[in-house]
Amino acid sequence: MSSAVSTARGTSYNTFLLVPILLFFGLMTVAVLRSPSLVTSSGIGSAEIVVAPLILSTYALMATALAGRATVDLSIGPLIGFINVTMIQLHAAGIISSPIAVFAYSLFAGVVYQIVFGLIVIWVRVQPIIVSLSGYLALSGINLVILPRPGGAAPDWMSGWGSGTTIFSPSIIMVAVATLGWLIFSATPFYGHLRLMGSDERAAYTSGVRIGVVRIGAHVVCGLFAGLASLSFTGLISSGDPTQGTTYTLISVTALVLGGTSLAGGRATVFGSLLGALNLFLIGYVLSTFDFGAVQGFVTDLCYGLILVLSLLMTVALPYLQRWLRNVSPFIVFVVLGLLFTGVALHATYDYTALSPHAGAPPAPVADQAAGNQDDAAAPQRPPMNPEIFAPVLEQVQEGPDFARTLLSTRTSQLAVLLLAIVIALRLLVWQASQRRLTPLLYAAIGVGGVLGVWLLMNTTALVARLGHGH
Amino acid sequence: MAENPLFAPLTTPVVRPLRWIGLALAALIAAIGAGFGFAQHAPTQYVIFTTAGTFTLALWLWNGFFVRWIAESALLSRAAAERAGRQASARMALRGFASGNKGVLAGLGILILGFIVLSLTLTGFLTWLNLFTALFLAASLVFTTIASRAFGDNRSAFIGLMVLGTIFVVASLNVEGFLSGPNIKSMLVFAAFLGLATVGQTLVAVLGGLDLSIPFLIGSSNVGLLYLIGLGIPSPIAVILVLVAGVAIGFLNGLLSFPLQGQALIVTLGVGFATSGLTQILTSIGSSYAGNVYGQVPAWLSNLAAMNGVTFGIAIPPVIFIWIAVAIALIFGLKNTVYGRYLYALGGNRTSAQRIQISERRYWYGVFTISGFSSTLTGSLLLGWSGGGFIGVGDPYLFMTLAAVVIGGTSLLGGHGGYGFTVIGVLVLQVLTAFLVGIGLKFEWQQFIYGLLILPMVALYARSPHIRTQI
Repeated sequence: MSSAVSTARGTSYNTFLLVPILLFFGLMTVAVLRSPSLVTSSGIGSAEIVVAPLILSTYALMATALAGRATVDLSIGPLIGFINVTMIQLHAAGIISSPIAVFAYSLFAGVVYQIVFGLIVIWVRVQPIIVSLSGYLALSGINLVILPRPGGAAPDWMSGWGSGTTIFSPSIIMVAVATLGWLIFSATPFYGHLRLMGSDERAAYTSGVRIGVVRIGAHVVCGLFAGLASLSFTGLISSGDPTQGTTYTLISVTALVLGGTSLAGGRATVFGSLLGALNLFLIGYVLSTFDFGAVQGFVTDLCYGLILVLSLLMTVALPYLQRWLRNVSPFIVFVVLGLLFTGVALHATYDYTALSPHAGAPPAPVADQAAGNQDDAAAPQRPPMNPEIFAPVLEQVQEGPDFARTLLSTRTSQLAVLLLAIVIALRLLVWQASQRRLTPLLYAAIGVGGVLGVWLLMNTTALVARLGHGH
Repeated sequence: MAENPLFAPLTTPVVRPLRWIGLALAALIAAIGAGFGFAQHAPTQYVIFTTAGTFTLALWLWNGFFVRWIAESALLSRAAAERAGRQASARMALRGFASGNKGVLAGLGILILGFIVLSLTLTGFLTWLNLFTALFLAASLVFTTIASRAFGDNRSAFIGLMVLGTIFVVASLNVEGFLSGPNIKSMLVFAAFLGLATVGQTLVAVLGGLDLSIPFLIGSSNVGLLYLIGLGIPSPIAVILVLVAGVAIGFLNGLLSFPLQGQALIVTLGVGFATSGLTQILTSIGSSYAGNVYGQVPAWLSNLAAMNGVTFGIAIPPVIFIWIAVAIALIFGLKNTVYGRYLYALGGNRTSAQRIQISERRYWYGVFTISGFSSTLTGSLLLGWSGGGFIGVGDPYLFMTLAAVVIGGTSLLGGHGGYGFTVIGVLVLQVLTAFLVGIGLKFEWQQFIYGLLILPMVALYARSPHIRTQI
């Protein structure tokens, strides 16, 4: 009984993640079908440097939104711009140039601004939204004073950040560090205090939480993320820009809301914010694959606005959703949809013509580049080449379309996916076994389906080749 | 000691010599005035009237404010000394005076310090005019602070009026041609636009919400109206169509934001963004110039809002009269009609308003609908003023409407304030803008100053109570 209760609570708490997850895979599917180059090494590389500042600024908003009192820092965009232009100007003046100095400066600037913000909220007791509006005006004005027009140059060591040719760029490392940092942060008692304060400030105060200190703490975390966001933004544009940073305000607020964060405070997950930011990027990406001609920008505006409103309305519908979807775990949905999406990505990027023996000589460039793989396909009896096991999974392939194929045809990744699927299926079976419902059966079916799918994917090469020979 | 504490100070023996000094000073000022009057050969009646007026004013200012200020703090310090069981001393009186007037003393200190620093660093800053301006600012600061203590509910209106007067005097001293007819007319025209755009924001703020869709609606109606006229629709019908669309979008705003009242501003931001995107898509169909609409603005619309407009033979644009009429109707209506009173009841306390059967939903929809109407009206009038459609025409109004509401003294927490306050806020903002433009400040500096200005203005009247008092 107790386990059932705890399970129900555990699942229903995260039900709000279902929306971003469904949207994410929907958008990913459309994006991959319309433009398969997204899932190549360089496609992912260039996508992630664009999305990194958005993710980090969404994280920054998440930290303060969690603190309650509707603390949506509208000045986050101008703050990113402010750190960017001051960093460029200080670099031009020769005051800061080494990576340590630049990192220290931008984190410090973000934290100082946010501490001032927090102190004003605590002592002057003005609504946070007013403070952020005031900061928005003041900062976007002063940015133009510091750097009247886009220009300047980022430090030399930063110049390679914006190229986006590899997956392991500094931007994604910053995002990973920030995500990990937040996960560690969310394990501390301080985080518990923060959530308590966000959901009910009076309760927190009466139970002895020092709400002033907790609020300042939330702003410090926000400032750190804002500093990181500004660094990745600077890496993206490799120069200074007084106005472009300001545009991050609206899209990161949208991403925040889309990720299921409650603007009333007390509810936010890093996974949701990450998905929200990714979704927002994907919306822009998918829209850019259609040709709207001159109205392209307006269509994007329209979609952003609509999605912001719709995802806010989702929070109204959430109690009803939770009543119906209590037994659906967002985690399982993510895994299942992830597997489905892998299939779609494989389909979209698979070079069928190269495999078919009827095609005779396969299209030259792809076949030449990955000659080893073509040999595999043509002669299924031969085991996969050994060196592939030791080669880095993603870095090996430079050419677009056969990335997914290489990823799944290396034995290491096949084994990893299979292991993962088995572990998840077992874990779910054990988890659900104590409940006298039909759900364990469903999960078992999903698990078996997943394993079957992976097996099929593993042997696609051989299967397709066999079918080809059969004709 | 007298019963009424307000009259007590004037009867205490401490102040008797001060009152004699005041009488002498007033007589001196009046005599100087009379001397100048006779020296300039002014008519004798004028001189007598002016002298009497000056004498009364000087005496009133001295007795009513300066003497009361000194006497009150003396009284307070004596009361404190009696509580502590000690003899009152001059040192304690001084300390009491300092602690009771921290704000004024800090303000005066900053003013004097700033003046000294500026005159030491900028050559040519120390002129008689600047010295007089600084003295005037100091006197105005002291007077405003002391006098505002006598006001209860309308304190913010008094402070706003004083700020308006001060800026006006300073501006007319420092900017050439500030008091000229065309300049005042142009200030009034801009104030009328801002005032009309702020109608909705004020009503929404009285209910405790915020509407950020105003700038987008202004821009959309501006472009949309010209587009409709360009299609060949008779201009009055086009205006009505645009206004109906504004009402519909305002109602939609209310409908969507009612379930999420804490996040009304984000909902309206989303709706605004979508509206502006949609309008641009609709107006760009079949046109190669995306975002720009060209057309001929009808003469009656131009006359309504343009600088050289004529109202029934008077060379003042009708938009000013429209604004004045709207302002009078709103001020009267909010004060004296059932609707107005219910609005305040709802803004003050939702629960008790519902107990007396006031429909929260209806009023919420109502104020947002009015906001949509007033924004589109402003957008249409702005088309008449500029003569060309431009989507970005509403952009400054995002923060200007908010700043006008806040500076006027309408509390964003709801239930307090009104359109009269907003009119003061609008005039303060407009005169300040004209002053800043007049002394040659660039746009970005103006924005910076507005940003810094909003915070102390809100801190004056819209501070939330401490959490301690909410338990």
